Amino acid sequence: MSYSEIFTRGIWKENPIFRLLLGLCPVLAVTTSVENGIGMGLASTFVLICSNLMVSLLRNFIPKKVRIPAYIVIIASFVTVVDLVMHAWFFELHKSLGLFIPLIVVNCIILGRAEAFASRNSWSLALVDGVGMGLGFTLGLAILGGVREIFGSGSLLGFSLFGPSYPPVLVMILPPGAFLTLGFLLAAMNRLEEKRAVRAGEAYEPPREMDCGSCVLCMLDENIGEGPAIEITNTSESLPG
Amino acid sequence: MKSILNMALRLSLICGIAALTLANVAELTRGPIAESEARAQREAVEAVLPTFVQLVVDTVQQGEDGTVEYFSGVDDTGITGTAFTSVSGLGYSGEIEIILGVNPEDRISGVRILRHAETPGLGANYADPEILNRFYTGRLLGDNWKVTKDGGQVDALTGATITGRAIADAIERGIRQYRLDKDRIKAEPAPIEVEGMAS
Repeated sequence: MSYSEIFTRGIWKENPIFRLLLGLCPVLAVTTSVENGIGMGLASTFVLICSNLMVSLLRNFIPKKVRIPAYIVIIASFVTVVDLVMHAWFFELHKSLGLFIPLIVVNCIILGRAEAFASRNSWSLALVDGVGMGLGFTLGLAILGGVREIFGSGSLLGFSLFGPSYPPVLVMILPPGAFLTLGFLLAAMNRLEEKRAVRAGEAYEPPREMDCGSCVLCMLDENIGEGPAIEITNTSESLPG
Repeated sequence: MKSILNMALRLSLICGIAALTLANVAELTRGPIAESEARAQREAVEAVLPTFVQLVVDTVQQGEDGTVEYFSGVDDTGITGTAFTSVSGLGYSGEIEIILGVNPEDRISGVRILRHAETPGLGANYADPEILNRFYTGRLLGDNWKVTKDGGQVDALTGATITGRAIADAIERGIRQYRLDKDRIKAEPAPIEVEGMAS
């Protein structure tokens, strides 16, 4: 796999939001506006890049059996750094994203990339993967936030689009609007994919029910089903002594 | 046994380095965070008070361990207004914290919402300073602080009666506390003007 393939797959083929449907808690919660979406996306991207780099550099140092606690410590540290830095220098953004910044720790994209990619590849590949996945995540958040802001508040990036007479579609900035928007965007993305396949003369294969791409996070303990061609370490052996 | 020790040592080392890094970052950001917080508070106080030259903070003891802070704006004619925070638990979802200013004529000089979790597009519309000014600024402290639906004098936004009720409740509580503490608010300007305090 080339660098550019690794980079672009995070943006389209394995987009964390639209393809893997990972990390949906912040996706649905903070995307009431473009600004919030981009803010959350960039914060997650920063954490993702740093944790990917760190996990990759330490991959021969971290003992296999305690790798998950080690990854969590690394990820949580970077999230705390982001939280403090935002609080200090991006006060307004910190106020509106508030609660969701500490929750980046449990965003499964970040742990997923650490386990599935960074722990098996060199630092340069891990860096490219982090940037690609992070940008894909940010892009997804921005699009969702954009659609919801346009319909729900009649504005984009805070600028009013339709004037004061526009009655906002309230449901779009309420939680159900997040699910609706995500559903329609997924449908649109599948349609685009189908069109592209037809134009290229390929057989169109609709997304599988469980399309996890290269994420193997849920297969840590058992090698279930037909996973991607990545060696999965067996962790179920009993501890010695 | 050896491998367990090895694991524990390596994990501890990672945690130790993480702790060291975080301690340094926390130290580095402590100042700027305090500054940002202070600036936000200062902006809120300025928004609800008439213009002033110097801001004086009185901390009034409440019961055993509670304190209330009163921010008084002072110029050469005396106190131009006093600001304080108040909380109501009657919000549609969770508490609503406000800051309100009272001028010497016993009128509300301004209200701002500091913290809320009301529904976007409905109750959250109250966070708009224009709406807050229209509804509350200029009202007498002795007004009937209930929404018109409940027989009071305060209008509420359509579709956000509960939020309106909660804000009125917060204002009323604040006023009650302010009246009890009024005599203890000295608002004595510091003899030497502290740098950065002049507006």
